[in-house]
Amino acid sequence: MTHAPELEQGVRQWAAERRYRHALVERWLRLDAADARALLGLAVELRLGENQLRDVWDCAEDVAARDRSSLAAVLTGPPLTRARRRAEGRSDRLKAIKAALRRLRYPQLVATEERLAELVQQLALPRSVRVTLPDCLEGDTLRVDIVVDSAAALAAAAAALHAAATRPECTAIFTLLEEAP
Amino acid sequence: MSGWTPSAVWIEASEVDSALAARVRTRLPSTPIHVVEEARLAEPPTFREGKRRLVVQRNGGSFLQHCPAGTPGVVCCSYLVMRFESNCPFDCSYCFLQDYVRNNPAIKVFTNVADGLAEIAAVLRAHPARTFRVGTGDVADSLALDHLTDLSCELVPFFAAQPNVVLELKTKSAGVDNLLGLDPKDRVVVSWSLNTPAMVAEEEDGAASLAERLAAAVRVQQAGYQVGFHFDPLIAHDGWEEGYRAVIELIFRQIDTRRVAWVSLGSLRMTPSLKAAIKARPRRARLLDTELVPNSDGKQRVWRGLRVKMYRRLLAWLRDVDSRMPLYICMEPASVWEKVFGEVPTDSEVARRLVAALA
Repeated sequence: MTHAPELEQGVRQWAAERRYRHALVERWLRLDAADARALLGLAVELRLGENQLRDVWDCAEDVAARDRSSLAAVLTGPPLTRARRRAEGRSDRLKAIKAALRRLRYPQLVATEERLAELVQQLALPRSVRVTLPDCLEGDTLRVDIVVDSAAALAAAAAALHAAATRPECTAIFTLLEEAP
Repeated sequence: MSGWTPSAVWIEASEVDSALAARVRTRLPSTPIHVVEEARLAEPPTFREGKRRLVVQRNGGSFLQHCPAGTPGVVCCSYLVMRFESNCPFDCSYCFLQDYVRNNPAIKVFTNVADGLAEIAAVLRAHPARTFRVGTGDVADSLALDHLTDLSCELVPFFAAQPNVVLELKTKSAGVDNLLGLDPKDRVVVSWSLNTPAMVAEEEDGAASLAERLAAAVRVQQAGYQVGFHFDPLIAHDGWEEGYRAVIELIFRQIDTRRVAWVSLGSLRMTPSLKAAIKARPRRARLLDTELVPNSDGKQRVWRGLRVKMYRRLLAWLRDVDSRMPLYICMEPASVWEKVFGEVPTDSEVARRLVAALA
């Protein structure tokens, strides 16, 4: 695909600066102009490394293909635009963009993760207790960490956990982890 | 003659007088045939084009292998595979061959079938107390080329005569004509990979329709074979519950459950390199839209709670039909078996149950 000289030059210049591999640049230049431009805008804005760029690109491309849309439409659509505007620093913005993309790419999974997070919240555990869900819900066990600096704090955490274990929300968490709704 | 025909055939000169080469020549009278010293074909312009070329050659390596699905961390049915052919004329969008034989420029059939049979015979003799399950459908479809090769006419009599092995011919074709005149003596199971009509139409290009597969299953069952069914890959598409339930109902309106050797379930799974190969194909596979996430074995599957839900649903529907049908799931860890079946058998126990059910 032949692009406007300024676009091709922009991509090549940026790729050289960030030392992207040749194959990635060639793939980039095979995109439609609007897609290539949107990707360049994001890469420059967030100063993406090659792996970061590829992750964002692959995920956005999957969403675009599924929704019969375009890479540019995903990268400049409302969810990503909101994420790009919302966060302050570059790394926070990248994190927000990745989260927005993940929500688009895995709607059922993310909805289930969010429901689980709500249920964990409702357990009203103290700050000394941290509950971690399995990555991508690929597992049915919860990790519970207790960080305390006194016997009294440990007793309080244990009591809170004991109370939480008897709540219906706790049962709901394990039910949801075990089988999709 | 019906069934797949190649655009051209390459026969290695050393094999030109083999029975297999003779059959292929006879059955493809109008297909260009090249006799070559060594069938080193150039890589075709597309993967699909490679599926239109047939190479007849000798297998210089081993025919018998452990099933590659038996990777660490999953409960395994201790299956063995025999490779008399490589690559498949069907073009299923999810097929691992797109990655596994990525650079393979053709479908290959091997002439020295007798060597393969000698190899398995030695194993059977060495372990007389063990009953093996062996299949020919891992890097090939067991029956898709049978109208050209008559391979089943060599395999069925051989395995029917063995006391401690069961052969599984696994297919997405309806090419069972050769089987009907053979006596399997309960040593041969013919099995079909099944999916919903929507998935068959969208994702299994070139394979027989669901109705054709079921009609073929009815024919072989009536001819004395035990049959098997593989719901693999289960694909979490819109309407999967209604779709798979309807398929189960359809099967068992026609199939006698007492002559079903086994039914397996397996979730859609792919390695990153397979996913890349699928994405590189010209036609986008809609199954890439499913929510596949990384698993500890390096493959991607839909997240576990959804897999468990799918397995439980299908298991319940299958047990409603006949609770005695042997069922297993493929390439899942013990924790998933526990959730689905309420127990975690050892690998050898899974294998033992599957062959015991045939006795």
